[in-house]
Amino acid sequence: MARLAPGLSLALPRVPHRGRVGEVRAASTGSSMELHDFRAYQPGDDLRQLDWNAVARTDELILRVRQDEVSPRVEVVVDASRSMALSERKGACAREVALLVCEVAARQGLSPTLRVAGVRGEQVQGPSCRAALRALEFEARDDLVAALGRMAPPRPCGLRVVVSDFLFEADLAALCARLSRGAAGLFLAQVLDAEDLSPSGGEGARLVDSESGAALEELLTQDVLAAYARRFTEHQRSLRGAALRARGTLLTASAEHPLEALVAGALRPLFVAGGGA
Amino acid sequence: MSFGFPWGLLALGALVPLVAAYFLRRRQKPVVVSALFLWRTPRPRAEAGPRWERFTRESSLLLEALAVVAAALFLADVRLAEPARRHHLVLVVDGSLSMSARGPDGTTVLERARREAAKRVEEAGATHVTVLATGLSPRLLAGPEAEPSKALASLEDFQARGADHDPMPTLLWAQELAGSGRPMAFFTDVAPREGLVLPPSLRWTALGVARDNVGLVSARRRDEGRETTVTLWVARFGGGPASVDLQVRALPGVGAKEGATRVEHVALPEEGTATVRLTFQGAGDVEVSLPDDDLPEDGHVTLPAAGTRPLEVRLAQGLGAPERDALERFLQSTPEVAPGAAGEEREVLLFGPQGTDARVTVGTTGTPRSFVGPFFAEKGHPLLDDVQLSGVRWTAGTNPPGRPLVTAGEAVLVSEEEDGRVHVNVDLSRSNVQRVSAWPVLLANVVRQARRTHEGFTRRQLLLGEPLEVVTEPGARYTLVEPSGRRPVFGAGTVGLPPPAGPGRFVLEREGDAVDTAVVLPLDARESDLRGRGSVDVAAREVDSEDARPHDSDRAWWPLVLLLSALLADFYVTRRGG
Repeated sequence: MARLAPGLSLALPRVPHRGRVGEVRAASTGSSMELHDFRAYQPGDDLRQLDWNAVARTDELILRVRQDEVSPRVEVVVDASRSMALSERKGACAREVALLVCEVAARQGLSPTLRVAGVRGEQVQGPSCRAALRALEFEARDDLVAALGRMAPPRPCGLRVVVSDFLFEADLAALCARLSRGAAGLFLAQVLDAEDLSPSGGEGARLVDSESGAALEELLTQDVLAAYARRFTEHQRSLRGAALRARGTLLTASAEHPLEALVAGALRPLFVAGGGA
Repeated sequence: MSFGFPWGLLALGALVPLVAAYFLRRRQKPVVVSALFLWRTPRPRAEAGPRWERFTRESSLLLEALAVVAAALFLADVRLAEPARRHHLVLVVDGSLSMSARGPDGTTVLERARREAAKRVEEAGATHVTVLATGLSPRLLAGPEAEPSKALASLEDFQARGADHDPMPTLLWAQELAGSGRPMAFFTDVAPREGLVLPPSLRWTALGVARDNVGLVSARRRDEGRETTVTLWVARFGGGPASVDLQVRALPGVGAKEGATRVEHVALPEEGTATVRLTFQGAGDVEVSLPDDDLPEDGHVTLPAAGTRPLEVRLAQGLGAPERDALERFLQSTPEVAPGAAGEEREVLLFGPQGTDARVTVGTTGTPRSFVGPFFAEKGHPLLDDVQLSGVRWTAGTNPPGRPLVTAGEAVLVSEEEDGRVHVNVDLSRSNVQRVSAWPVLLANVVRQARRTHEGFTRRQLLLGEPLEVVTEPGARYTLVEPSGRRPVFGAGTVGLPPPAGPGRFVLEREGDAVDTAVVLPLDARESDLRGRGSVDVAAREVDSEDARPHDSDRAWWPLVLLLSALLADFYVTRRGG
């Protein structure tokens, strides 16, 4: 992590942002040196922003509209449902991805906010994110949609990264629209275990849902496994389409791979090598 | 609801592995998955709620249990209403002691009879069974028309310990219970004797085996003071051992510190019996045993110590000196006689002079007359057993009241009244009757008669088949406690009871208090003789054809339909669950 973060920066969208004063062009007008637009003077405007040359040329009170330079917020939403701890590797991978985003954002001068969608809707900012992620327990007995309902409404931000496995039955289009609301950019970092991607077959088993506890007796034959693969592919297709419609990007990461491989592979659209906004 | 074949209900035992499998499946190792919905085939009804899914397994279990119950009912040939076919079978079992004889394989004839009876009930498809046991008094063991399982269970509890008897009364009773032409089965250990007319629907099955035997045929115990004399009769039936060791063990009695054990080597004659007489001092119960053979029951007896009950005798005032002297000399030499206290009314033999209310009056009134014969005695009267009056000079007075027992001319020498009072019309100062044997014999008969009116059992040691006889007093309530239970004794005086069905200890109670005890020994020489036993199966001469085979056409088929329905429903449910 310490070796990876310095060489990376988040791929922020090329649109104005909101946030505290910083280096990134903001969506609001302000007092930066970069000219954004001209408009007619209106009472109450700062007279210092009048473009006197234009006034002289046009005899109209033309105001220079300058943009603020802000430090956009980066919001990392982590799904703390029990399915994220299906295996130790899956939980660890989810923590690592979320932490890497927070670390890179902090190094990039952005202000990372970690929101844990779990039993309680927790929210931490800045350096506390590392400690919060270390203490994170995946113990929610419901899915991400229900957990989001318990949390405060999302605030506008520059970039929102949602770390989850997205393996639940829900209206995916509505979920993605909700996640992209107020965000300039949306990344859905889907962390999956090897058993999620390709479950092992064998004898009959009692399949128990990690969150609801519902059980299902099944004989894990090849036909059953093929049916699972078919339904999984369909689910992924629906999720990817919903993400695209919400101007988001779905990144599917296998917990089997190390973080370096994920950054270079599945998570590559999220990070830009060498830094830069 | 009734069952044509109740053993079919054993199929209900399949519920045990079914429920066990259910719980074992529930305990199958769970596999946690992230998304159960990806494993489940989406169904519109399932989307409505998980209730159906939750109960799929329980529903399957219930349907499978229903299928098992339906199968058991079908196998048990359930009949809801009574149009069910009735098939009545009457079983008769020999209750004599020889049925307890062991065969070469160690099993008794009675055990073989039980197995054969169970097989016969199953073969006949009997829905109702009546079981009778032969004996001196026929007994109903189960029924009439009991369930086959209960009837066979009663046969399991039955013990054949009875005396030799004629089975025909029981067989005729069985025929009445079965009805004309209905099947009957008789299980015994001997073939029917030639010329015996059996009921036409009776199947006679003999399961015995001829063999030799050595056994006790009789045993007697006599207690005089602290001395106990045990007399045993041992017999050999057939070519058994020429001699046998007889063990007699006397347990310590009241006041004795230790018992005694003796082993007598008894030589057995080819015909007849060997008699062994042993004497013990201060003995309690005496246990006699022979080495075990094919019929061990006749080789073991216990002779309990019978408490002595001396007859109380009193001489009334007014007796003449010769009469008093003669009576006192007799009573001094008579065992188990004790002087009674004055004023005690019950169970006292009172001797008094003529004209009093004494039980026995001795003496004369009026003008004496002497006779030297001929004397006329009422033949067969117990008071005159062995009384020989030849050579006697008898001087008598006025004739006493009552029925004359001994007369000489017109003179009544001995008479007996209706209430049992005896009058001896003799003047001993002028007679010589007290100097001949007739005198003590006559008085001994009087004492014996008095003993017979003594409350309790007239005999305390009986053999199998001998009738019980008790003496009761009027106005009291008596109960006879038998090994098989209690029963009231009705009547006053000497009451004859039927022979007991088996050996054991019998207690006579008056108002709940034990009065006397008798023991019936398991000895019967005719039952110990096993030489004539054998195996034979005499088929019934005629049986109603409708009873010759079980009727499958009456079997109820709805359990089978229920079974198939439950299986189909289970298949449907499990398919949905998958």
